[in-house]
Amino acid sequence: MVIRAFSALLIAALGCSLAMAEPQWNKPYPELTEALRLKGDRARGEDAFVICQGCHRVGALGRADGSYPRLAGQHASVLIKQIADVRSGRRSNPKMLPFADHQAISVQEIADIAAYLTTLPVPPDNGRGRGNELGRGERLYVMDCASCHGPRGEGDPQRYYPRVSGQHYRYLVREGILIRDGARKNANPDMVKAIRQYSDEDVAAVSDYISRLPVDLPR
Amino acid sequence: MSAMMSLLRTLVGIPLSLSICAFAADAQETVKTVCAACHGVDGNSTDPRYPKLAGMDQEYLMRQLKAFAAGKRREETMSAIVAGIDPNDFSKLAGYYGKMKPTPGKVNDPGLAAKGKLLYDDGNTESGVPSCAGCHQPDGQGNARFPRLAGQHQAYVLKQLADYKSGRRATDPLMTTVGKRLTVDEASALAEYIAGL
Repeated sequence: MVIRAFSALLIAALGCSLAMAEPQWNKPYPELTEALRLKGDRARGEDAFVICQGCHRVGALGRADGSYPRLAGQHASVLIKQIADVRSGRRSNPKMLPFADHQAISVQEIADIAAYLTTLPVPPDNGRGRGNELGRGERLYVMDCASCHGPRGEGDPQRYYPRVSGQHYRYLVREGILIRDGARKNANPDMVKAIRQYSDEDVAAVSDYISRLPVDLPR
Repeated sequence: MSAMMSLLRTLVGIPLSLSICAFAADAQETVKTVCAACHGVDGNSTDPRYPKLAGMDQEYLMRQLKAFAAGKRREETMSAIVAGIDPNDFSKLAGYYGKMKPTPGKVNDPGLAAKGKLLYDDGNTESGVPSCAGCHQPDGQGNARFPRLAGQHQAYVLKQLADYKSGRRATDPLMTTVGKRLTVDEASALAEYIAGL
């Protein structure tokens, strides 16, 4: 009787944990592992980046209208994961896909591009918000974002957490909303949970705060 | 007598066919007899259907000749002509035209060219058309990987964009994407701007 109750409990617990199991946003897969393992070469990366700069612009500074993010100064691990995720369909991005797929760049070039981009300077001229909700933005950031993205928005290369400082406000808003709504498939479920209750105004406020963080990374 | 004539013909024929071989191996001669009718001796074609080749990168031109030979680029006349050229001559032909000085193109509609400039420099963020300048460079000079566009004939540029879109030209998957994303009006504006570069 006790055993039966225990096994019922076990099955229930198992079922529960299965149901709760989120898609593994950072589970390694062969191409990602390979791209992370390869040594990137800056000079080759600069050459390979040519096909990206039609959108991400020279210097990888992106666009203030949020259409294309700034990539300059991003952690190499983050860039590699996002490129690999886009081309494997883990992150849906139909606009970028043809420029990131196997016909366009090799796995080695993913590593090279990341090695190049991570060294590029991040000038403090990124697009910003209206600046009218910065107190609210700061409170939300400190409460929900700083533990992963860092107090200065520096991110964490070991855990694929992007640096967010220096990013364009409009891009932060767009991706924030996509992540909140579960539309960015490769998002960390912890982040989805953290901002699930955010209104559009909350996303805008915290994005505005982020867009004003200092662009120099703590060393 | 008839046997004698036949021998004579053969003897005369040997040096003649040898000299044809020697001519064929000479790239300049191939240019004159084969290429120039459409592309001009100096690589600046006057018929807007045929591309100017002057000043284009040798490696790029060679890749195109190989693409025609392999059927990755299809054009009834050109495919047939390339089939008749010795692939060993590709490099010399490409080098010949690459060294020629390109002549400027002619803008017929400055208003249209101005629209083309916006697209050339900035792309279309809505449809995901990248700026052309990213690969072909702001002045359209191109390099080994991406062809020179500056001063190219409008009609030729339009035809290439349409061929990328339709898949008739399959030399570059990125340009296939670009061709598919461009509207007809955008393509016209770009061709007009490129002519003036």
